Amino acid sequence: MKNFLEINDLVVEYTQNRQVVHAVNGVSLKLEKGKTLGLVGETGAGKTTIAKSIMRILPDVAAYIRGGEVWLDGENLLEKSEDEMYSIRGSKIAMIFQDPMTALNPLMTVGDQIAEVLLLHNTKDKKEAMTKAGDMLEMVGIPRERYIEYPHQFSGGMKQRVVIAMALACDPELLLADEPTTALDVTIQAQVLDMIRDLRDKLGTSMILITHDLGVVAETCDSVAVIYAGQVVESGSKEDLFDHPTHPYTKGLFGSLPSMAVGEKRLHSIVGLPPDPTNLPSGCSFWPRCPYATEACKCIPTEEQVNVGVLSSIPNREITPGHFVRCIKEGE
Amino acid sequence: MADTPLLEIKHLKKYFRVPAGQNHAVDDVSFTIERGETLGVVGESGCGKSTLGRTIIRLLEATDGQVLLNGEDITHIKGKKLKEAREKLQIVFQDPYSSLNPRLRVESAIMEPLQHSGRFKSKAEMKAEANRLMELVGIDERLRQSYPHELDGGRRQRVGIARALALNPEFIVCDEPVSALDVSIQAQVLNLLMDLQDQLGMAYMFVTHDLSVVRHIANNILVMYLGQAVEKAPTEELFNEPLHPYTKALLSAIPSVDIHKPMQRIQLKGEITSPINPKPGCRFAARCPYACELCEEPQVLEEVRPNHFVQCCRCKEINGL
Amino acid sequence: MMALMNKMKTEKLETVETARKSSMLLEFCRRLIKSGSAKLGLFLMLFIILACVIGPYLSPYDINWRDATLMRAGPSAEHWLGCDTLGRDMLTRLLYGGQYSLLMGLLSAVIGSLLGIAVGLVAGYFGGMTETLIMRFMDVWSALPGMLLCILVSAAMGNGFGATVLALTIGSIPGVARMTRGQVLSERSREYIEAAESINCSKLSIMFKHLLPNVIQPSIVITTMSVGSTINMAASLSYIGLGIQPPSPEWGAMLADGKGYIMSDPHLIAVPGIAIALTVFAINLLGDGLRDALDPKLRG
Repeated sequence: MKNFLEINDLVVEYTQNRQVVHAVNGVSLKLEKGKTLGLVGETGAGKTTIAKSIMRILPDVAAYIRGGEVWLDGENLLEKSEDEMYSIRGSKIAMIFQDPMTALNPLMTVGDQIAEVLLLHNTKDKKEAMTKAGDMLEMVGIPRERYIEYPHQFSGGMKQRVVIAMALACDPELLLADEPTTALDVTIQAQVLDMIRDLRDKLGTSMILITHDLGVVAETCDSVAVIYAGQVVESGSKEDLFDHPTHPYTKGLFGSLPSMAVGEKRLHSIVGLPPDPTNLPSGCSFWPRCPYATEACKCIPTEEQVNVGVLSSIPNREITPGHFVRCIKEGE
Repeated sequence: MADTPLLEIKHLKKYFRVPAGQNHAVDDVSFTIERGETLGVVGESGCGKSTLGRTIIRLLEATDGQVLLNGEDITHIKGKKLKEAREKLQIVFQDPYSSLNPRLRVESAIMEPLQHSGRFKSKAEMKAEANRLMELVGIDERLRQSYPHELDGGRRQRVGIARALALNPEFIVCDEPVSALDVSIQAQVLNLLMDLQDQLGMAYMFVTHDLSVVRHIANNILVMYLGQAVEKAPTEELFNEPLHPYTKALLSAIPSVDIHKPMQRIQLKGEITSPINPKPGCRFAARCPYACELCEEPQVLEEVRPNHFVQCCRCKEINGL
Repeated sequence: MMALMNKMKTEKLETVETARKSSMLLEFCRRLIKSGSAKLGLFLMLFIILACVIGPYLSPYDINWRDATLMRAGPSAEHWLGCDTLGRDMLTRLLYGGQYSLLMGLLSAVIGSLLGIAVGLVAGYFGGMTETLIMRFMDVWSALPGMLLCILVSAAMGNGFGATVLALTIGSIPGVARMTRGQVLSERSREYIEAAESINCSKLSIMFKHLLPNVIQPSIVITTMSVGSTINMAASLSYIGLGIQPPSPEWGAMLADGKGYIMSDPHLIAVPGIAIALTVFAINLLGDGLRDALDPKLRG
């Protein structure tokens, strides 16, 4: 089956205080139509930057897409003009942000905010937009009568529902959800996740779900990519990752989970800290924290690779069909 | 003396006055904590779990009720006695970014509680003690002169822990100490907290919304809902056999990393109601699948099994006890 | 190559360590000078202060020296800025008067800010009734027009240097107090204040060790800026005949002195006027620079 979304060797850099931050270093991802891909990783691993690169909403001055391709439905988004992107955003791709509190305009009724999105992309008729906005509210489980209420009259979970309704208003084919439930309580998170799953299945939307919570991935995604220091260190189907975690970092993540350590006193934490993205270690960026690291893991990338922004020469190997691991010692 | 518990909380209440009325943040909560025990307090935001911790260690004044430390009532003590009690009761805060004074270097921050304790005669002694504490919590010696903003979240949290340990407390309230940290760092800090308890033997009250964390670290768990304790039980018993409908729903809502276990979720309708001027009766009734007229009566926390307390009038009926 | 990189890393760490030991003050000065406008402000201010302190001694004329034939004379080789209505040398009087103006401005701004910070700190930290009382009082206080307040105090206390400084000081308290209280309120809700309480810090120690250093930055900026406005206010007081009395030269008094001759001899007004404007301008530039240099968010 042809991939709906395909990202090849994406490299994104930020400039901060005259230092280059290597946010994304050669990321390749694939997503089939109607499926959900989970991006897992720690703060600063580059998950959000990848999503923003797809949307092309990186800050203009500071960020620079140094290389790569983002193919959506046969078109390279990185070659689109700003005007073309404008019509793609919202109608073809939509994004849900982590914090529902700041994603809504406090001075507009929630209904009007949804209608505004529709007016920008779908329809010219104001009446129609308002009716459709009411439908959207009902779809995410909010009574139509609350159309005229303001965001401050909604609780956190309700606001996130409104944000989701806004994102889905124009039937996007790809939904980018950046930690959509992190700010919510457990029982509310469960409600919202169930709703997202139902809507995705009903509308056939493809989705990229960004999260640090492996439990959320297990419940929602079809395939998973583990991101570390701006690279995909392991990717594959959900079963590949959860049943046979192979990369030392993935193993470390699972070992750090208290729920995996039932009956054990200590958690198997990963030593050390994530690397400084302005000064990544050469070779595999995980070697300073890796219990299996050898000299070979520290190999310096060739000049040619550095020129295209690739900072690691560790190859991405397919160990079983569809299960890729970026580790030279994977067999051992 | 030997059988007095470390802390005894009796009918503790903390109300806040807000424009709309009284916010019953903690409403008639009673429990005990033994020496060396870890009590996990779980609940969703706004259930009063942080307020409970702060009221016990006297950072907030209780509206009503009693807190007994080693059998002695500390609810209203003042002055020198309060100072002594506070040395035994410490807290580690949730947000390592705002719980350290941005203008104090690491060493000064750790020395500060030592200065106020009056146990040390010279600056050199204090420095030596600060160094010992830094080693204990695993902060590198060379970070002595760093400012908090130069440290990552995990290290800052270690500084916060060192400060709490400085006064040799018998009891530490850990108020969501790891929820602002990444998974791999979270595990490091949890391991540290458990190691310290093994070495120094203090009791923890572990306040968190993350059930997998308390399951790992706590001996007993107290579940709170809108200011009230709805269930208290030993950890494994609570996870294996939750009796209160809210606890059941809460446990079923945790996303599991076990992809082969079928999902069985108890969906709660609606969202948490407001703790301002609550009606008498069960506060969970509005969302509870088993709610009936009886639930409008005031509820009591009942010991339905040894050490297993539940506040629900239909508990026995629902669970077939 | 790895070894080299490691060595470089250790060296970098060591330099960081040494840099840490050098005082915050140096770092602050470096950042202050880095900003162009602050540099200009700083140099202008230093130049004005030096000129006012040393100038009168270098001048060949005494401040009370007069030559009736030179009344309202324009600038010349002997008298660079001309002579005033009584035939006294303008430059000498300008520099000498500058001592009064600057000193009054600085003193009253600094004293006023110190008092204002203390009041704001107490109000913000203690809260409740204390806060309500203090802040309502400050509201009433600042509801009176500043100029009117100064005139009242000057009229009650009499003229002269001390009374004028007092009058100016009183006017500058409410602004700083309100600002400090606002800062305290936002800092007080942060957890490190609670953390300090839990380790038995006394109220005094929380206020001065924890709160003060974290709320004082905006107050420093406000103080600097208010030096300019107090200089203006002092000049205005002298202009209407209160404050420093003739024959002591003061910029405002000099302005008042020349007001009758705006059309015929504009230099009588222009010289003190430009001096006041230049000083206030320099101080405001400096204040802007301070704000940038003190902002922790911009700290590298």
